[in-house]
Amino acid sequence: MVVSAVSERPRTGTDSLLPTSFTLENFRHVLQEAGFLGYLGNSLAVAGLTVAGSSLLALLAAVAVARFRFRLRTTVLVMVLTVQMVPLEALVIPLFLQVRDLRMLNSLLGLSVVYIALALPFAIWMLRGFVAAVPAEVEEAAYIDGASWGRMFWSVLFPLVAPGLVATGIFSFITAWNEFILALTFMNEADRYTVAVGLRQFFGQYTTDWGAVMAASTVITLPVMVFFLIVQRGLVAGLVQGAVKG
Amino acid sequence: MAPPVSTEQAAPAAGAAAPAPGRRRRAPLLRAATRRRALPWALLAPALAVIAALLLFPLGRVLWLSVQDYGLDNVVSGRPDYIGLDNYAQVLGDRYLWTVALPNTVVFAAVAVAGTVVLGTLVALLLATLRPPARTAVLGCVLVAWAMPAVSGTYVWVWIFDVDGGLVRQGLEAVGAVGPEGYNWFTDRLAFYAIATLNVVHHGFPFVAVTVLAGLLTVPRELHEAALLDGAGAWQRFWNVTVPTIRPVFAVVTILSTIWDFKVFAQVYLMPGGSGGNRDVLNLGVWSYMQSFSQQSYGLGSAIAVLLTLMLLAVTVVYLRALFRDEELR
Repeated sequence: MVVSAVSERPRTGTDSLLPTSFTLENFRHVLQEAGFLGYLGNSLAVAGLTVAGSSLLALLAAVAVARFRFRLRTTVLVMVLTVQMVPLEALVIPLFLQVRDLRMLNSLLGLSVVYIALALPFAIWMLRGFVAAVPAEVEEAAYIDGASWGRMFWSVLFPLVAPGLVATGIFSFITAWNEFILALTFMNEADRYTVAVGLRQFFGQYTTDWGAVMAASTVITLPVMVFFLIVQRGLVAGLVQGAVKG
Repeated sequence: MAPPVSTEQAAPAAGAAAPAPGRRRRAPLLRAATRRRALPWALLAPALAVIAALLLFPLGRVLWLSVQDYGLDNVVSGRPDYIGLDNYAQVLGDRYLWTVALPNTVVFAAVAVAGTVVLGTLVALLLATLRPPARTAVLGCVLVAWAMPAVSGTYVWVWIFDVDGGLVRQGLEAVGAVGPEGYNWFTDRLAFYAIATLNVVHHGFPFVAVTVLAGLLTVPRELHEAALLDGAGAWQRFWNVTVPTIRPVFAVVTILSTIWDFKVFAQVYLMPGGSGGNRDVLNLGVWSYMQSFSQQSYGLGSAIAVLLTLMLLAVTVVYLRALFRDEELR
């Protein structure tokens, strides 16, 4: 705890533990001259696409595994869980070749599609808990009132799962925002960098512009922190439900 | 009801009409029962398709690449050179694997997991004893550490240990432990991984803390009171009451941390020398990446990646068994 408290503080963008002078110059430099605004835009676009895509697909899949009993259900769940464990280092080589064959290198869309796939397993696993928490009686009541399955889905289930969807969406956002290795490999034109990769340019061969690095790190970290504080309750609930209890 | 030619359907008196021999009579496409059976698959289909195309297929391809001599010329021509298990032989016969990359991966993961779980549990125990205002404050700090992206977290740690102006350098110089020439922590393998461990533990302990806290809150208060009446100390209560009750939680956080710490990439790659400058400090993941994208020998890199994946799969099996023991998926 103390470690975390102390180590967070030096991120203020000045050179010592307690700032001796306060300046926003580093932020201005980073955002305007170093092109960080562009990276922020790239990251936002990629993360937005990832959130939209993965939330939609994960919601449908989560309803399927939480609400229906069908053959191979357990197999699907185990597959989803297992695929999450595959190291990115193993996927980066074939994905690079695959994306290159599709001429999607340096394409924000290509990167987003890959991120959707990365975020999906966890999103399904997490949403499953939220869907399962909705009492089946609510659905049955809707059926008795004459609703079709589709009507029940949009008018009953969807609003009830919405908080879980927000939590999952934010998690996907963070995944896409923080991801490093794929962005590093796929994006080799400077104007296509995402923030995580763009940060590297402040490291010279021999000297490092620490002020700029710290200012940029702060810019990257802030949105994630804000989202995280919003979502932490749901995230923990989802994790505990999904991973620990039935 | 003599059995017809077909062997598959032994369904006794399934329908009213006599079925054509060897062919089951298909129900109308949109009958309610059929639709009910098809619905989950229709819902799953898009997600499974994406997972199959972008996770499973590449996984197969990395296996395929790992038995080829796939270099830059193959990337250009697209023609593979099948060489069987030569890549594996080369990797497994390389002293570098056994003396550097594997120890870096395994020992680091073991130390980092131990550190993460112990620190996380301690913080969770602290959180459980605190009253709401203080608890919220501490939880906030923990979450800040959690939310910090790995990339910027790594830079903070690199900065703290920076050779020229880092905090540690300044502190040690002030007490006279280090001369004005300074000390480069990142060239020494042990120091490098000590810093990486700090970074990973700092990044990973909040997950453990929050999950264990959630588990702690489910332990019935009566158990603790009973143990207290029996004269158990705090230490005994922790080991004999708390730990057995929330053992599944510990199993899950330990295994998940293990999986995450095995495949640490950015935290090593972004440290000075971690991107290939210092061959002593690469772990399996970074080594595989360097072989593929710096040396352009994708086949060899794939073989290393496959080995890493196999190690992780072994851990995953343990994880799944821990989950299934809880009757979780029933």
